Amino acid sequence: MPRPLRLYVRAVDALSYRLGRLAVYLIFVMMGTLLVAAFSRVAFNTSYIWLVETMQFLLVAYFLLGGAYSMQLGAHVRMDLFYERWSERTKAAVDAVTICCLIFYLAMLLFGGWSSAEYALRYGETSRSAWSPPMAPIKIVMCLGIAVMLLQATARLLKNVARALGDTVE
Amino acid sequence: MSNELIALTMLGGMLLLLFTGQRVVGAIGFVAASAALLLYGTGGNQMPFNAAMTVLDWYPLVTLPLFVYMGYMLSESGISGDLYRMFHVWAGPLSGGLAIGTIGVMLAISAMNGLSVAGMAIGASVALPEMMRRGYNKLMITGTIQAGSSLGILVPPSVVLVLYGIIAKQPIGQLWLAGIVPGLLLAGLFVIYIGVRCWLQPELGPPLPKQEREEVSWADKLRLLRAGAIPLVIFFTMMGLFFTGVTSLVESSAVGAASATIVAAAKRRLTWDVTQETIRKTLSISCMFLWVIMAALCFGAVFDGLGAKYAIQGLFLEGWELGPWETLIMMQLSFILLGMFLDDTAMLVIVAPLYVPLVMRLGFDPVWYGVLYTITCQIAYMTPPFGYNLFLMKAMAPNDVTLRDIYLSIIPFVGIMVLGLAIVMAFPELSLWLPNLVYGE
Repeated sequence: MPRPLRLYVRAVDALSYRLGRLAVYLIFVMMGTLLVAAFSRVAFNTSYIWLVETMQFLLVAYFLLGGAYSMQLGAHVRMDLFYERWSERTKAAVDAVTICCLIFYLAMLLFGGWSSAEYALRYGETSRSAWSPPMAPIKIVMCLGIAVMLLQATARLLKNVARALGDTVE
Repeated sequence: MSNELIALTMLGGMLLLLFTGQRVVGAIGFVAASAALLLYGTGGNQMPFNAAMTVLDWYPLVTLPLFVYMGYMLSESGISGDLYRMFHVWAGPLSGGLAIGTIGVMLAISAMNGLSVAGMAIGASVALPEMMRRGYNKLMITGTIQAGSSLGILVPPSVVLVLYGIIAKQPIGQLWLAGIVPGLLLAGLFVIYIGVRCWLQPELGPPLPKQEREEVSWADKLRLLRAGAIPLVIFFTMMGLFFTGVTSLVESSAVGAASATIVAAAKRRLTWDVTQETIRKTLSISCMFLWVIMAALCFGAVFDGLGAKYAIQGLFLEGWELGPWETLIMMQLSFILLGMFLDDTAMLVIVAPLYVPLVMRLGFDPVWYGVLYTITCQIAYMTPPFGYNLFLMKAMAPNDVTLRDIYLSIIPFVGIMVLGLAIVMAFPELSLWLPNLVYGE
């Protein structure tokens, strides 16, 4: 692989990993917040109007920010009836074509996300709930996660092409 | 394009892409996004992201990563292994005892876990090598593990039933209760089959040799029972708090996750490595499911919005002039067909919005239907030539277990599950009496 592309793949991998390592710990934030909220409701009869929405925001941040890292870990399942029988090179060649489908989907996702986030920023959109938090921050976080997933998918594409051509990736 | 043509193109395109071995999220997402862009008109380019916003609105989905965490914490810290040893020692003297014990372990694990993947992983890593070593028949082993892991999403807590509850707008507590008796029924049928079969053909599952049995003293045997107490305590704490209304559904899943962590800490197994491994696997599995759900939601919305829903309803009710029961059976068959390609969550998100209104229109109980759906999904996973469980099993089993062995091994168990499904279909009371008992009519 040409040097600039190699640097790109390495940079995207590093970024996905860092972001994913951050997202991994959000599970403890979710668990802790829920336990504290449940305890304080049972013990002191308090209720928090921010609880439900905060949890929803955390869940979305968790899986969108962790997306690229989970792709690095190879967590996304495939229907591998034929796939598993192919040689590494055939797999890479087929993947190089079909990963463009994933890239297209992610690009559409990012396009929709960006226009939605821009709208939220411009008009100061808030959630339709009693708590009514601004929507822009979570939408920007969502876009960030999707964007890194998109970068990761393009890095995979480069790796697949390299492998299909019999080139070394590293 | 006509409704029928759209339905065919979208489903066909998705299956074709799945066959290339691309990630499931890519295949579903691509078809959904391109159909939205080409056919939907105004707002079509926003549909993929709108599906992400729908995920944001589904509060009960927060239980998904928490239940996944709970399952991995229990298996990574070796608590499931202790559980297996207990069943092993107590059921070992019987013919086929280890296989029966495996079903018992799976049942206990599914009571602490919302997905079937974790049960399969534990079965393949702990139970499989042990049974191989004792000269159990290969077919008996893989069949048992696959059948046992299917209990995972039927016995509460079940993530699949949570998702069904969100989509069908049914109370999740009732759905969970409705799954208990059918889950126990299936487990019972499996145990009877293994017991009778191994009694008739002892070479399939030889009992533990006498000498080895005497090596374990009664004191040890009793001590092992404590391992079995842990899942019971966790299960009843979590479910007790939920069903008495002390904690909400999502809070209960946090209680479950925290109690698994506490148990691991109390057993001095909560090391840095165990924790890191658990949270990393939790993220992988949760991301996999949630990205697929997000893509499937977009697919479902486009499919629905373009009128493909009417194509299917029209086909069943007017085209083939089916009665209510025939429609129900056709639906189950279509699940088996789709389940060969898709996993349960993706299939649920795509198909449930089409089928649930139809089920209600035909006068069936949607809670009962949720249980039928879950059992059917599991049958679909285990049906050759394609099935998620079959591939998972192949990936996890040692090399001398061929795909052919795995196909052969599940035949009797699929038969039992079909029997179980028929029983639950014929007697809806089996699944409904428990929710009715707890919540009243």
